Amino acid sequence: MFRKKSVLSLLSVFAITSTILAGCGSSSKDSSSTDAGSASANNTATSAAVKPVEFSFYFSGSQNVKDLWDTLIPMFEKQNPDIKVKPVFIPSGTGAQSTYDRILAAKQAGKGSGDIDLYEDGLSTITKGQKDDLWDTLSSGSIPNLSNVDQQTMTDVSNLAVPYRSSAVILAYNSEKVTEVPNTLDELYDWIRKHPGKFAYNDPSTGGSGNSFVMTALYKDLPEEAIHNSDPSIESQWDKGFALLKDLGKYVYGEGIYPKKNQGTLDLLANGEVDMIPAWSDMVLEQVANGQLPASTKIKQLTPGFNGGPTYLMVPKLSEKKDAVYKFLDFVLSPEAQTVVVNKMHGFPGIQLSNMPQEVQDSFKGASEGFRSFNIGDLDKDMSMRWQSEVAAQ
Amino acid sequence: MSKQTKMGILGLLLVLPSFLVLFVIVVLPIALSFKESLTNASGGYDLSNYIYLFTNKLMRSNIIFTLEVTIISVLLILAISYALAVYMRFNNGAVVQWIRRLYMIPMFIPGVIATYGLIQLLGNHGWAARILYQFGIESFPRIIFDMKGIIIANLWFNIPFTTMLLGSALSAVPNSVIESAKDVGAGTIQIFFKFILPLTYKTLLVGATFAFMGVIGSFTAPFLLGPNAPQMLGVSMEQVFGVFQQKQLAAALAFFTFLLCSIMGFFYIREMIKDEGVKA
Repeated sequence: MFRKKSVLSLLSVFAITSTILAGCGSSSKDSSSTDAGSASANNTATSAAVKPVEFSFYFSGSQNVKDLWDTLIPMFEKQNPDIKVKPVFIPSGTGAQSTYDRILAAKQAGKGSGDIDLYEDGLSTITKGQKDDLWDTLSSGSIPNLSNVDQQTMTDVSNLAVPYRSSAVILAYNSEKVTEVPNTLDELYDWIRKHPGKFAYNDPSTGGSGNSFVMTALYKDLPEEAIHNSDPSIESQWDKGFALLKDLGKYVYGEGIYPKKNQGTLDLLANGEVDMIPAWSDMVLEQVANGQLPASTKIKQLTPGFNGGPTYLMVPKLSEKKDAVYKFLDFVLSPEAQTVVVNKMHGFPGIQLSNMPQEVQDSFKGASEGFRSFNIGDLDKDMSMRWQSEVAAQ
Repeated sequence: MSKQTKMGILGLLLVLPSFLVLFVIVVLPIALSFKESLTNASGGYDLSNYIYLFTNKLMRSNIIFTLEVTIISVLLILAISYALAVYMRFNNGAVVQWIRRLYMIPMFIPGVIATYGLIQLLGNHGWAARILYQFGIESFPRIIFDMKGIIIANLWFNIPFTTMLLGSALSAVPNSVIESAKDVGAGTIQIFFKFILPLTYKTLLVGATFAFMGVIGSFTAPFLLGPNAPQMLGVSMEQVFGVFQQKQLAAALAFFTFLLCSIMGFFYIREMIKDEGVKA
């Protein structure tokens, strides 16, 4: 009797859940069909009006990149009511690679550019896309402001991308404590040895600034062209650099403590535990402006410099809305938009500094030049690995 | 079909969904990562990743470090939680009321925030150092970026839950048992070792298992508070997988961690079964 009852109640539970589930299914179907209906209604409404061109712009990065575009896009749309920009933000580390794969897959499937009309990324993606013939060649004929960009930078990327902002790793120091500011790498290493515990760089596998410090040390005595070489044979020449870093380990913060992330060393500089660190220029300038770092914080680039370089915008070759995209790119390179880049993100402008207002030119003195663009590809992995076993675990 | 087989089929049907979920999200990934961990650089199968794990100086020191941190943490967690729970069970008054209100708080603070809080508190120029400085104590031991920092964070994360677990076990110890023991002349220490400890021993084991699993697999605190080397296995796994991109080695590390946990699980289950056997 009892068993029969439990079977019955079970059956009724099944029945109830299945009706609920069925209800869910049908209601969701309904809502999607109404969505489609309203969407088509929207389409007809807009086509009846001026019919603005809408293009999709995929970009990734930290919150500051999103804030920048949230400011720039409305400015552009106000000036060009016939063009709408649809920004698609991919937070860093979540799917930049898949965006590239989408563009490539759409091309291989013969489906245009996969609805991606503009894409933002770094140097390695341009080189990759060049091999697959994905990017459109840009010229100042269609984008007049392109002539304000350093021609050497454009030649480096074969005119396939627009460098719209850049940043570099620099030396950030507390000018109240540091009297003799180093100018060269050797002077920097001397300074570290003379001031034990007052310098820190972050774990190179967790942030670009520490990564650049390590890379610069490894390539100090190697020929200049080695920094663009991604052939593993060069790794045997790293020994001297690692020996140097191992030796410096005794003199850095906490006799060998390497904080995690770019922000880790900035925190140490902010609370006065160290006096000098390698850091990203835009992070330092922004945090000084916000008061997170003391006003006495100064920045300086060494000769030869740390790593740095532009962030690029690329137009997929098969995009069907190129004219609108060109207009947008022209706007992004205008001194007006570049001033926003400078004020909002504290990045270096993508156009040559001489096109910018005088005060902007002054604020970047000593920081926006002299950096080098390292491009060692996958060797970076091996570098982090050797650093972990030879320098961190000594 | 007899009624018994019908009921048997129904029983199997009822177990099937949970078994399938378990199979898809636990058994299958473990099997796949075990296969991955046996893959060597040339694509064949051998034990090279495990050999590397135990012969490479760096990896070996990571494993030893992880075991050290885990064992010290678990022992401290159990000692402190048990003391707290016993104190709350057999005492009354304002202090107990306050402990009862406060001890759960760490459970409601997100791990990252708690970790940064610890850095602010115990760092080189943190609050603790500054307060001690006022009293003339100038040297402060290094806690952050050291094994001590990880252990303190583990205590913070694990004590509330373990105390809660032990507290409920202790409240199940009947007062009459203790009173009658007292009546026949048993001392406090005798009561504790002859009655309270045996009656809560099983829960203590459950607490130890949970603490062990939690500590050995922790990531946030060791990542932010720990030294650059040696690392705990979770941090090392992330680095091997994300930065060095050696998937096979990361899988071997993961499988090894799983083995350590299942050894702990084995003792736990064996103890439970033994207990059931006594009852039956």
